[in-house]
Amino acid sequence: MIRKAGFTDVEMVSETGFNSSPVTKGVLIRAKTPTTVDSVRRDVSSSDLIGMYDEFFNAAYSEGAIDRKTKHLIALAASLAAGCDS
Amino acid sequence: MGNIFTSEDRKRIKEGIAGKYVKVAISPEESFKYPTGRAGLEAQNYDPEILNALSEEVSASYCGVGNPFSLGPLRTGETVLDIGCGAGVDSIIAATMVGPDGRVVGMDLIPEMLERARDNLRKTSLENVTFQEGSAEDLPFPEASFDVVISNGVFNLVPDKEEALKDVIRVLKPGGRFMLADQVLTTSQPADTKSMVESWAG
Repeated sequence: MIRKAGFTDVEMVSETGFNSSPVTKGVLIRAKTPTTVDSVRRDVSSSDLIGMYDEFFNAAYSEGAIDRKTKHLIALAASLAAGCDS
Repeated sequence: MGNIFTSEDRKRIKEGIAGKYVKVAISPEESFKYPTGRAGLEAQNYDPEILNALSEEVSASYCGVGNPFSLGPLRTGETVLDIGCGAGVDSIIAATMVGPDGRVVGMDLIPEMLERARDNLRKTSLENVTFQEGSAEDLPFPEASFDVVISNGVFNLVPDKEEALKDVIRVLKPGGRFMLADQVLTTSQPADTKSMVESWAG
């Protein structure tokens, strides 16, 4: 259940010997929350990622001090200069 | 699991817990099947140096089921949440470990336990601990507030454990540590909701 909730590195380390009833036992458990990279990987589905890329792409190429067409031409020139033409 | 309980079930569970822990706040030594107080702390191998610095009255109110600090050290300057802090013994020990630059919040559902915790805190010189009321299923803290969450013998009493665990993740920082001592069932769960409610409320 701890893993299902989203923890990582879940480890039942030992029993404590303090049992509050005949059908329960005391245990020690440690777990960690995912690091930011882990949680982005887990929480973002691939369709979300495409949406986020589109959003970034459209924001980058939006009309501003430089118009959309010029931005695309600059990107094309940069790609060619970087050898991305094969 | 949470949605199988009606609000009436939840009320009975809360009343059952409150009924027991109001008694625990007054006399912990008569309420458990395992050693409590100083004997409990020693049996669970708490750091003797820290134990020696605790007053007799503070250690007498300990009724944990294990030693969460045996799962890894707390570092100086860290912020710690103690879910279901009870009389606050673990919170006080955590505050000693994280030092004056660290901070500890002890949270409990039962006001009588918090009163006992505040009394215990007054018997120390610590200034980095606060106690506040709250439920494990709805932690009253913003996200990424803590480096470490500890809890000792509490989650077995929480009706919606999965929601509560998700809320622990929410209030922990990324890469934060959860150090839990608790009771787990050695048999399968009671089959029907009614007997589950009875086991908390009874």
